[in-house]
Formats: sequence, C-alpha cells, structure tokens
Amino acid sequence: MTFLLTVYVLVWPVVVAGVLFVISRAFYRELRQAKAEGRSVI
Amino acid sequence: MLLFFGGSFYMSVRISRKKENADGYMTGGGKIGFGISAASMTATWIWASSMYASATSGYTYGVSGPIHYGLWGALMILLIYPFGRRIRAVAPRAHTIAEVMFARHGRSSQLMLAGSNVLGSVISLTSNLIAGGALVAMLTPYTFTQGIVAIAAGVLLYTLWSGFRASVLTDFAQVVALLGAVVVIIPVVFFAAGGPSLFETGAANLTAQQQDFFSSDAFFNQGAPYIAAVLAYAIGNQTIAQRLFAVREDLIKKTFVTATFGYGATIIGVGMLGVIALYAGVEPLGGDVNNLIPQLAATYLNPALLCLFFVMIIGSLSSTADSDLTALSAIVMADIYGQNVAGKKRANPRTMVLIGRITMVVAIAAGLVFAGSKFNILDLLVFVGALWGALVFPVIASFYWDRVTNLAFSAAVVAGLALFLPVRFSWVDLSGGLGLASDVLSTLGVGIVLGLMAFGFFGRRVALVVGTVATLAAAPFTIGFLHTYPVLSGSLVAYAVSTIVCVALTLLSKDRFDFALIKERTGNFDEDEAAESRPADAPRRGEPVAAGEGI
Repeated sequence: MTFLLTVYVLVWPVVVAGVLFVISRAFYRELRQAKAEGRSVI
Repeated sequence: MLLFFGGSFYMSVRISRKKENADGYMTGGGKIGFGISAASMTATWIWASSMYASATSGYTYGVSGPIHYGLWGALMILLIYPFGRRIRAVAPRAHTIAEVMFARHGRSSQLMLAGSNVLGSVISLTSNLIAGGALVAMLTPYTFTQGIVAIAAGVLLYTLWSGFRASVLTDFAQVVALLGAVVVIIPVVFFAAGGPSLFETGAANLTAQQQDFFSSDAFFNQGAPYIAAVLAYAIGNQTIAQRLFAVREDLIKKTFVTATFGYGATIIGVGMLGVIALYAGVEPLGGDVNNLIPQLAATYLNPALLCLFFVMIIGSLSSTADSDLTALSAIVMADIYGQNVAGKKRANPRTMVLIGRITMVVAIAAGLVFAGSKFNILDLLVFVGALWGALVFPVIASFYWDRVTNLAFSAAVVAGLALFLPVRFSWVDLSGGLGLASDVLSTLGVGIVLGLMAFGFFGRRVALVVGTVATLAAAPFTIGFLHTYPVLSGSLVAYAVSTIVCVALTLLSKDRFDFALIKERTGNFDEDEAAESRPADAPRRGEPVAAGEGI
C-alpha cells in the first residue's frame, strides 16, 4: 500500500514533465518557422 | 516579482505593434499555433484558486480529494472540444460567445452571456489578486495590500498594449515556469515531509473515508458538484471561448487534449500537497485551509525552491488574471461597443482598441477594490460555475438545434437561475415535498449533464440513450437523498430547469434558423487585415452564403 501511495503522489510531476516537453518543443518549432518566414510568432 | 513581471513585459514589448488592430487585440487573428495555444489553454485553466482548492480537497477528503477536483476539471476540457469545433465551424471569425449568441438570437441572449462573463471574470480577477496578496503577506515582509497592488500593476503592464496577443505569448513563459515548478516542488515536499514512511506514520491522522480511494463523502461533496459546475464553466467562460476562436481551426483537438493532460496532472499533483499535509498532521494557519500550500512551502522548501514556489503561484494567477482582462476587454469591445453602441458596420477598430485598454484599467481597479473582502475560494468557484449552469443547455442547443428561439434561450436561463438560488443556498425547507421536487429535478439534471457530455462526441441518439439510462439508474438512489447536498442539487436543478424550459419553448416554435447567417453576422472588425487572411473561398461580410446545418 505504501508503494502504491508513493507512486500515486509522484506520478503527477512525471506527467507534467511530459506535457511541458510537448508544449516547449511545439513552441520552439513555431518560433523557428515564424523566424524563417519573417513574421511574428503571434 | 520584478523579474517575473519584467520578463513578461519584455515579451509583450517584443511583439507589440505601434497600431494594434482590434481583431488581434481580441483573438490574435484566429491563426495561433499549437505550442502557444496549448500553453495558453493550460495556463488559463489553472488559476491560483484551483491550486489552493485542490490542496484543500486533498486535505479535507483524503487520498481521493485531488482526483475529485483535478480529474473532472481536466475531463471537461476534453469534453468540450467537440462543441468547440462546432462553434468554430459556425462562427469562424467571432471574438466572443456572446457575440455569436447575438448573431444567433439577439440582444437578451448576448447580454446574459456577456453579463455573466463580466461577473465571472471580475470574481476570478479578484480571487487571483486575493491569492497573490495572501502569498505576498505570508512569505515576504510586504503587506497584503502592497501585494495585490504590485500584482495588479504587473499584470496590467504587460497586457495593456497588445491585449490577447500579449496574454497568450506570456502564457507560454508562465506555463513553463509553472509546470517546471510543479515537477520539482511536489517530490521535494513529499520527501522532506517524510517520504513513503509518511503513509505509515501518519495513517492515524486520516478517517476511514479519507483513506478510501472511492470515498462517497469526497464524491458527493466535492466531485459531483464540481462535475456539474465545471462543465458550465467550460461552456460559458469567455477566456476559454477566446482561445477557441484564436487557435488555428485544425489544431483545436490537439490543443484541448494537451491542455487536458497539463491541467489534470498539475492540479492533481498540487492537490497531493494537501494529502501530504493531512498525513503529516499539519494544521492550517489560523484554521484557513487556503494557507496550506504556502505553509507547506515555507516549512519544507529551501530559499531557492521557495522562490520557485512563489513563481509557480504568481505564474498561475497572472496567466488567469491577464486572461480575465482580455476576456473583459473583448466583451466590452465586441459586445457592448461593436454590436450595441456603434453597430457592426460603423465600429471603428482604433476606438475599439482604446475601449479595450480602458476596460482593462477599470477592471483591474475593480478587482483591487473587491479584493478587500476575502471570500472562500472554493465557494466562489462553485457559485460561478452554477451560474453558468443555467446557460449550458441553451448555449449548446443554440449551435445545433435550428428551432431554439431567443425567448426559449432567455426564459430557460432565468428559470434555471431562479430555482438554483433557493436550493443552493437552502432558502426553502427541502425536507418535505419541495425536497422531493428538488430531487426529481436533480436526477433529471444528472441525465442532462451526462447526456450533454455524450452528445459532443457521439451525437443526439447516443446522448438521449445515455441521458435516459443515467436518469433511470440514478433515480432510486438520488430521490429522497440528493437534497441533503445543496451544492450539488443547486447545480443539477439549474441544468434541469433550463433544459426543460428551453426544450418546451423551442418545441412551440415552428421557425427554423439558418446557421450560415452566424458566419455572415460575425467577423473581423479590421477589414483590411481580414481580407489578407481570409481564405479565397470564404464569403465577405454581406455576401450570400450557403445554407447551414442543423438537427
């Protein structure tokens, strides 16, 4: 039970890290594309 | 704080234009990419109050508490994206949901949505300022008042000039700081509080319900009311609608799915701090559960991580506060000035931007005044959600059912609200026949909520089956019982009454609405820029368009 509760508490930061990676990678790509096309990213 | 707001201001300066256009100020022109829009959706949906409330839920209801706060909130982002796609297809160049309702029904429907959003955004703004002020007062030598003034000034500084464009771009930086802090802080607090052994040494601090992952106490007091409230919040809230109108149309699904995971994991994760506090036997300072998160941070984090924690909270409240400012400015620009004062054809885009900026200044001043009276954050969240509950069915039906009329819409919302208030706030004695009536309506509300969720993904037939089965299955357990949970009953009654009234009055109508008219009646205010971005086959305002679809 202790192990399961520990996993239950610590799994969320891992998922957050995954989302952070996905969003950051997409933003970086959009930024590069915008620069290449000579326009603002937004 | 200087670094945080200075950095946000620098970002907004980098994208600022000498002459901002009105459409960019409200929705960024409707062409925003996945990275920024997903970050912005995540950052906007996470507000300081939701972090505090999730931790409160964990502390109050135990191990299942954060799930009953965060999971349902996250699922709502996912569940509304099919509606979002429909709304965007019907009104591709709109700026606010109220503006679309004006095009669909007329003024009263528009003003109901606009009015509820003005109220909701001012409350949200106030709530975020309170959270920030309380944090400043607790962790720094400065006072609560100095804290709220500094945060209000900082948010206004970077949002005022470029509006929505600045809001979503800074959301990206804020979400990186926010999510990055969550990744570090939760494990650090967990291990500093005792790590896995905490679950053995602190188990005595929990009741049987708090240790139960399937706690009925947590479901009826937290989860169920929140499901009802947050669906309403997702549908009626202009901050969400604004991002829906801003993201590139083909990226809506991807954006909402990513935000679902981002919001869910962050809020449930922060809620675990409440669970840790419960196991550790922490008593909230002054008996106020809103102090739990700052208290844990001050106890278990070193100065560097405490700064990171500070950034996490300031990031969450700033991203929502700037969204509230841009939502309010869009409503005043498009709904009040654009549609009602000047009129769509005569609206001057330059004047609109000026009005948007003045709105932000007035809104932040109002938020500062209201921040003086500290409401219970969780109650505020439920109340605003339930207020929008009366709007959910009429709004959704208006996008699919071509027979819904302005009268059906308006009467449904008024009736839903009229019955919500006495049930929610126990103004009437619900122990007798009124309680039974409330339970019957609430049970219908259960079916309506689940039916609406199914409708977005699977269409009308499946929704009717789900709604009917859910109502019949729930009835034996809920009738004679649900009225003892007024928070949940109030929201469900609002859903049920507004749906019944809307359907009844709609069935009396024989007129049919052409949905293509919405595309024609809403659109860009800056025509020059709109012409550059408009697809070659898209109709210009005033040109005839093809007939729309309906059920």
